[in-house]
Amino acid sequence: MTSGAYTQLLDLACGVLLLCAVVVLWQRELAVLVRVLAVQGAALAAIAAVLGVHERRWGLLVVAAGVGVLRAGVLPYLLRRALGARTGGAADPPPPAAYRSPYREDVSEARETRPVVNVAASLVTAALLTLLAYAAARPLVALHPTPATRALPVGLAVVLVGFFVLVARRRAIAQVVGFLTLDNGITATAFLAASGVPPIVELGVSFDVLLAVLVLHVLTTRMRAAFGGTDLDDLRELSDR
Amino acid sequence: MSGVGYVAVGAQVVVVVGGAPVLGGWMRQVRARLEGRAGAGVGQPWRDVRKLLRKEAVTPVGTGPAFRLAPLLLVATTAVVAALMPLASTRTPVSGSADLILVVALLALGTVALALAGLDTGTAFGGMGASREMTIAALVEPTILLAVFAVSIPVGSTNLAAIIAGTIHHPARPASPAGLLAVAALAVAVLAEAGRIPVDNPATHLELTMVHEAMVLEYAGPDLALVELGSQMRLAVLLGLLGSLAAPWGTATGGSLPLLGLALVLLVVKTALLGTLLAAAEVFWAKVRLFKVPELLAGSFLLALLAVVASYFLTGEAVR
Amino acid sequence: MTPTDSALLLTAPVAVPLAAAAAHAVAWRRAAASGGTAPGHRLTQWAGLLAPAAILVSAVVLAASVPSHGPVTAYGRLLRADGLSVWMLLVVGAVALLALAASPGYLAGERAAGHTDEAGAQRYHALVPAFLAAMCLALLAANLGVVWVAIEATTIVTAFLVGHRHTRTSVEAAWKYVVICSAGIALAFLGTVLVYYAARQAGVSEASALDWPTLAARADRLDPAVTRLGMALVVLGFGAKAGLVPLHAWLPDAHSQAPAPVSALMSGVLPAVSFTALLRFKVIADTALGTGYTRALLAAVALLTLCLSAALLLAQRDYKRMLAYSSMEHMSVIALGAAIGSPAVMSAALLHIAGHGLAKTVAFCSSGHILRLRGTTRIGRVRGLLAQSPALGAVFGLAVVALLGMPPFSLFASEVGIVRGGYAGGLGWAVSPALALVLLAFAALGYRTGRMVLGPPQPAGRPGDAPHALGAVAAAPLVAGLVACAALGTALGPLSDLLSAAAAITAGR
Repeated sequence: MTSGAYTQLLDLACGVLLLCAVVVLWQRELAVLVRVLAVQGAALAAIAAVLGVHERRWGLLVVAAGVGVLRAGVLPYLLRRALGARTGGAADPPPPAAYRSPYREDVSEARETRPVVNVAASLVTAALLTLLAYAAARPLVALHPTPATRALPVGLAVVLVGFFVLVARRRAIAQVVGFLTLDNGITATAFLAASGVPPIVELGVSFDVLLAVLVLHVLTTRMRAAFGGTDLDDLRELSDR
Repeated sequence: MSGVGYVAVGAQVVVVVGGAPVLGGWMRQVRARLEGRAGAGVGQPWRDVRKLLRKEAVTPVGTGPAFRLAPLLLVATTAVVAALMPLASTRTPVSGSADLILVVALLALGTVALALAGLDTGTAFGGMGASREMTIAALVEPTILLAVFAVSIPVGSTNLAAIIAGTIHHPARPASPAGLLAVAALAVAVLAEAGRIPVDNPATHLELTMVHEAMVLEYAGPDLALVELGSQMRLAVLLGLLGSLAAPWGTATGGSLPLLGLALVLLVVKTALLGTLLAAAEVFWAKVRLFKVPELLAGSFLLALLAVVASYFLTGEAVR
Repeated sequence: MTPTDSALLLTAPVAVPLAAAAAHAVAWRRAAASGGTAPGHRLTQWAGLLAPAAILVSAVVLAASVPSHGPVTAYGRLLRADGLSVWMLLVVGAVALLALAASPGYLAGERAAGHTDEAGAQRYHALVPAFLAAMCLALLAANLGVVWVAIEATTIVTAFLVGHRHTRTSVEAAWKYVVICSAGIALAFLGTVLVYYAARQAGVSEASALDWPTLAARADRLDPAVTRLGMALVVLGFGAKAGLVPLHAWLPDAHSQAPAPVSALMSGVLPAVSFTALLRFKVIADTALGTGYTRALLAAVALLTLCLSAALLLAQRDYKRMLAYSSMEHMSVIALGAAIGSPAVMSAALLHIAGHGLAKTVAFCSSGHILRLRGTTRIGRVRGLLAQSPALGAVFGLAVVALLGMPPFSLFASEVGIVRGGYAGGLGWAVSPALALVLLAFAALGYRTGRMVLGPPQPAGRPGDAPHALGAVAAAPLVAGLVACAALGTALGPLSDLLSAAAAITAGR
């Protein structure tokens, strides 16, 4: 691969990664969030693959394939199931016609109807976070400027946006998406900075993330059973009263 | 060469002024066909203009010069933009002044003129439309400027001719993240500037949703013809700008007449293609609520900002 | 020590609990399939002690050899035990032994109350050893990436222990626990990645760029700016798991909802294990950046945590949450000790970890008994404990006295050591406000516990107010914990070599 094409492909994958993080903030439809997350996982795998081909480290291609399967396939599949569990399971009976008013607030589970921070403000915040990531990453780039490390601010920006999604969204699934975005950002940082952490650590981390999502999946089901929904605003029984 | 340059400028203005209503008609026709209607035909906007021009000029009682001058100003600024922009050739006598910021400012001048006219009528609709248009414009301008900034960083100049010539020499540039993000941000901004779905519906006359139509509700006769022509020209110019920033291939950089002809044909094809895409998309999209427009524009602002940031930290050797 | 011996000693603390967990997981599946009605054997209830016993025995054997013969490694330096990890292993083993000895009684009570069944009990017995195994791996792994993986694994394993009841509060606690801890600790991984990047750029090979001994030896060549960013993230991330500000919000919820023995483990040793990882990074950062940077970070975090926990202790009405905030208070004292960082203070801080682990285990386990006795976690509804159940009241009261830092318990000695070292080390500006805040927490904790333990018995006539005897089996681990804590406070005996070896490691000498 020529150096020009390498840079171009790497930058493109990083751009898609960052764009997906932004779209996660932009979109309210939870099903769309999950799809965007899959695209982001694919972009992450692409970064690893491009680096592997460029540095002629074929082990990295295996890692890329693993990352792709996990983050573009398995995790989105799990989230889709967590979303679908509601419609497939014992859904609430529709309210009697007398109570159905056209002005009733949309309480459907498929959308982030009232995020803690509204969408326009979160987009502006994301812009600020990106600038912050750019500022924070300057010493990282200065240490060893290559096309890959020059893209490090993208990784940090995705981490920050993921953290922000975690804070600013009320739906359980949206929080999980935020957590995974955060994690994708960290993995991207690892790939860009040092072509990924050693395989044993990468394996352990992937396994941990998979288990964490499984645990959150189960907890979502329980939350629906206990609270009748996945609005995290309902989680306010434990406090220092 | 200088002669060819003048020819190019003249041709651009003629193509834009003559072609803009055809573009509008073409888009309506595409929409109609997709919706299963026969459509009025591509020439319908021109026929409308002819009909309106034959009518007597009428202005509402109590309106001042702002109302009367606005259509002229709208058409004039857009025509100047059409002359300035390197739509067909990057080497024209005026290409030195084809600064992107100037282009954006000229377009904004037209918008402001129309908004003032809307206020000048003193009717509820005019004021409402003007206020909405200004809200949207206030949100769109920073996006456009940022996107412009992003595409100008690799070139080091905000001159449109330089940007387009630079892109022709480095064909990979629009495929870089910065380029893609900037074009995506510009596309949203163009939709808002041109008053298309999902920001504004050009075909509506429903009070609750009108933006552009509310401002020009009081126009009639030749003035209305000019307003219609002006907004069609704006759309054509904006689509042309988007096309030449995203895919500048074919724009003449030299001084030969055949190349200029080819460039003009390509320009028409590109703009028509973009128009078709837009018309097809409008069939499937719905207009968003006015309160959600800031959300959409904040998103495009963010895209533009990311484009700027990305063009700083993702500029590898290939892009430089 | 032969390589086989060391491999055995380093494997046992991880493998034996894992084997126990696997065996119980099979039994759990079977019990779940049979509807969870079949009662378990009495014998298997006590088999749970096998795992902590294995940890403790390995730790004791290692403690005999490591201070004099240096670190032990196995599996090509994948596992490594130095003074610090052996000391922590000893604490984990001791606390786990106490907590698991209290488990059969706890489970019997839960079953009698109808809160759990055989499947639930087997799940408990499967998850707790897995939790222990993850903590031991976090202590013994030489690779900082593996340390991170193990600490994240503790979150995952304990999630269902926190949410063991399917009530609204327990689901809420479990959700907050998993989300805040996973996200927080993800930051620590980002910090680890940055340190790895700095190490690679300093010319360390890929295989050893996360290996702690290598990193500690070559830390002077790490890029300061990158290490600074990485260290800040590590403090935030591992601090989340250690109950330090700003990502501490999970701690009171999780500790108040988990089963009492698990609360004991999660409060007594889990934050300390996470803090040990932080200490390892501190050694690297101190060499790369000088001591000032980490000291300022840790002192700031410690003071903020202390402020928060003291304020919330003052207003607390729930005794399990009160104990949780007391854990945060003690973790911040330990963090302050780490900020001071001289060998004498570090040994005091490590001693504080041990003393706090033991005392908090006793306190949480006895709070489980109180909950069963009174059916409430409200402080205001518990009065005259000593009169109703002398043994339980005495044990709980003494555990809180130990937590308050009164002699003869070891927390007294360690707190005095930290404060003296702080003034000697020129950190008076941090120690003085800390001391005031600790006194505030002391007053709050002492006052509320006094109201619970002392006073006349509640008027008879309501269920749960009958005189109650704790029973020898239930009392034994609690008394043992208090005795151990007091013994540590009077004389360290053979442990002093190990403690000074561990302190020397954390002080970077």
